[in-house]
Amino acid sequence: MSDKTMPVEVVSAEAHVLSGEARELYARAVEGEIGILPGHAPALVALDVGPLRLTMADGTKERIAVHRGVLFVGDDGKVIVLADIAERAEDIDLDRAKAKAQRAQERIDTRAGADLETLLVSLRKQQVRIRVASGTEITHEE
Amino acid sequence: MAGSGQIRQLKRRIKSVQSTQKITRAMEMIAASRIIKAQGRVRAARPYAEGIHDIIRGLAVSNEVRAHPLLVQRDIERVGVLVNTSDRGLAGAYNANVLKAAERTIAEEEGKGRTVDLYVVGKKGAAYFAYRGRRALQVWEGVADTPHIDEAGDIAETMMARYRRAELDRVWLVYTDFKSSLTQIPVRMELLPVKPTEFEGGREIDPEFIFEPAQDELLNTLIPRYVEAKVFHGLLESSASEHASRQRAMKAATDNAKEVAAKLSRIMNQARQEQITTEISEIVGGAEALGD
Repeated sequence: MSDKTMPVEVVSAEAHVLSGEARELYARAVEGEIGILPGHAPALVALDVGPLRLTMADGTKERIAVHRGVLFVGDDGKVIVLADIAERAEDIDLDRAKAKAQRAQERIDTRAGADLETLLVSLRKQQVRIRVASGTEITHEE
Repeated sequence: MAGSGQIRQLKRRIKSVQSTQKITRAMEMIAASRIIKAQGRVRAARPYAEGIHDIIRGLAVSNEVRAHPLLVQRDIERVGVLVNTSDRGLAGAYNANVLKAAERTIAEEEGKGRTVDLYVVGKKGAAYFAYRGRRALQVWEGVADTPHIDEAGDIAETMMARYRRAELDRVWLVYTDFKSSLTQIPVRMELLPVKPTEFEGGREIDPEFIFEPAQDELLNTLIPRYVEAKVFHGLLESSASEHASRQRAMKAATDNAKEVAAKLSRIMNQARQEQITTEISEIVGGAEALGD
């Protein structure tokens, strides 16, 4: 790994989540897993529900659960992630996420309430949050 | 003695006014701290909204956005009106003002022979319209105080879905704009259709960029986010305004209570004085009678 870094900003609809220098960034795009390293070509990528993993300049790892976002790499090399919802691992209430996931699962099983599509999306969202919060190894291959 | 009964009654009234004053003072202080928090939330939401807007404008330079289902303009027959009110009362004229603005918009649209579909955020607005025999198609409760993006997303999606299906040809968002803690103005904003001019004047994003998925598909996912951010903005502004109105109303109530308590204690003191005077003159009169 080189020592080169890139400025990264993660902004959710409600707050500024993270800004700093990162060495690498991995995210799940709509069309598959992507990795961004310093010097990446300018890009605009729609993100899927999924974890965002960063290695910061000082070597610390950050994990952020992202829901409905876009990733923008500017021609100045700056990386901006704009997401409806972006939560850092430490900000996620694990118990509540688990409870919500269970509720979504139950409703899927019993087919109660809203359409299946929405329920599946919300279940996946909770699963991502749980994985990010509990620090389970994120492989992206399920 | 007639005087002591009156004094006791006054004392009780003063106590009750003072305890009301304590409550209104507490509410005033809570509201004051909530304004600051709500203002912070308005500020914190800005970078995201601006970011999305910038990217859309960048893409709009070399892409045709007019054909997007949320930008398509139709002849207006059916109009959605989404009103942001509060769940709780004791906020002065906050709800009355925004509801008046909503009524104006409804009257204007209906005056042109259009049908109005009403959507309401907040119990107060729902109760107001229900009492007047106009049922809202949907009411969102528990959102107005501290709005969150997923709630804004839900509200926006309800509007956008009906617009896409051509069930609505226009959607007004009526909310209260927080100018400062002293002035909050009810405003209305045309949420849908999104006007192409809103996406003009962007700096073109270099076509050499890697776009994933393709540019037009990216636009399709981003434009709804833009509408959502607008709804969220309206909710946040309204929430800050609600807290500011409540703070002012409670300050006025506290001041009034103070005044009432002062007036009552003046009356009470006068009554006590009179009672003492009467007692003294009775004693003096009695002593004189004995001395004779």
